[in-house]
Amino acid sequence: MKKRTMATSLAGHSPTLIRSIERRLFLKQGLSLGALALLSGCELTDDQGVQSLLMGMSRWNDRVQGWLFNPNKLAPEYPESAITQPFPFNAYYGEDEVRLVDGASYKLELSGLIREKKPWTLPELYALPQTSQITRHICIEGWSAIGKWSGVRFSDFLARIGADTTAKYIGFECADDYTTSIDMPTALHPQTLLTFRFADQILPPKYGFPMKLRMPTKLGFKNPKHIMSVFVSNEYPGGYWEDQGYNWFSGS
Amino acid sequence: MKPLEAIALAAILVAGTDAWAADTPGKPMKMDEPMHGEMKKGSMKKGDVKKAAKKKEREMKPILEREAAGAAKK
Repeated sequence: MKKRTMATSLAGHSPTLIRSIERRLFLKQGLSLGALALLSGCELTDDQGVQSLLMGMSRWNDRVQGWLFNPNKLAPEYPESAITQPFPFNAYYGEDEVRLVDGASYKLELSGLIREKKPWTLPELYALPQTSQITRHICIEGWSAIGKWSGVRFSDFLARIGADTTAKYIGFECADDYTTSIDMPTALHPQTLLTFRFADQILPPKYGFPMKLRMPTKLGFKNPKHIMSVFVSNEYPGGYWEDQGYNWFSGS
Repeated sequence: MKPLEAIALAAILVAGTDAWAADTPGKPMKMDEPMHGEMKKGSMKKGDVKKAAKKKEREMKPILEREAAGAAKK
């Protein structure tokens, strides 16, 4: 199969979004040149020292991207006619291995800098005020797709549970063992939703039942599915792919 | 039903069942198999994610408890 780049995959779809991502990629790559300059004379291996240095540069890039993030800038939204059919499935496992979560016994666990740590059942979550968005999911692998998600604004949920919104990080643990974390400004962004529905139906298992955090301002791997617990912390929690060297911020 | 029609119907049903089975979620994950997708390195196995999650939970749990306790005192 022909290898696609992000630019060719998105060509003609969303010029504003592409420009925004390309500007940040340019900046990121420019910053990465600094890291490469520091490495002149070093052999690029899995050597711990090299890895630590690159990870340090990546964390610095995260901070720069955090400074550039505009919490009031909205990602493009689309009409129902633009929804991608069928919406792609993507995970580190096959579609037949998707974890099945029992909705009847499910409870969302909360920890860290949160005042009300009472676990939430699905009926309680479904009873919260809901909103919908039709936005583009952009995968780091070079494809994108438009889908419709519905759920509660994450900022509203954080306010309801008494989360310390001056803290730096929000982390997620998922039923498929996936972990990730995001910055507080993105968590409070108006388009960041804790979603329970996809295409007006309860989230099917392959799209993340019982809930998925949807952030159109970030790449797909930052949008966790099958969320089992949420925590708020000032300690950098990283995440599975982030700990393998993928850029933690990964957003616009 | 003619034999040929019966064979055709059986073939359709078998193909349909196979397709359904292939897409039905919930099959136990084979942890020692390579990961799907393009984000992985060649050596990564599906079970690596579970190991990493357990390690992270061990690391983060005391931090979160300490932070929560500190916040409660304020």
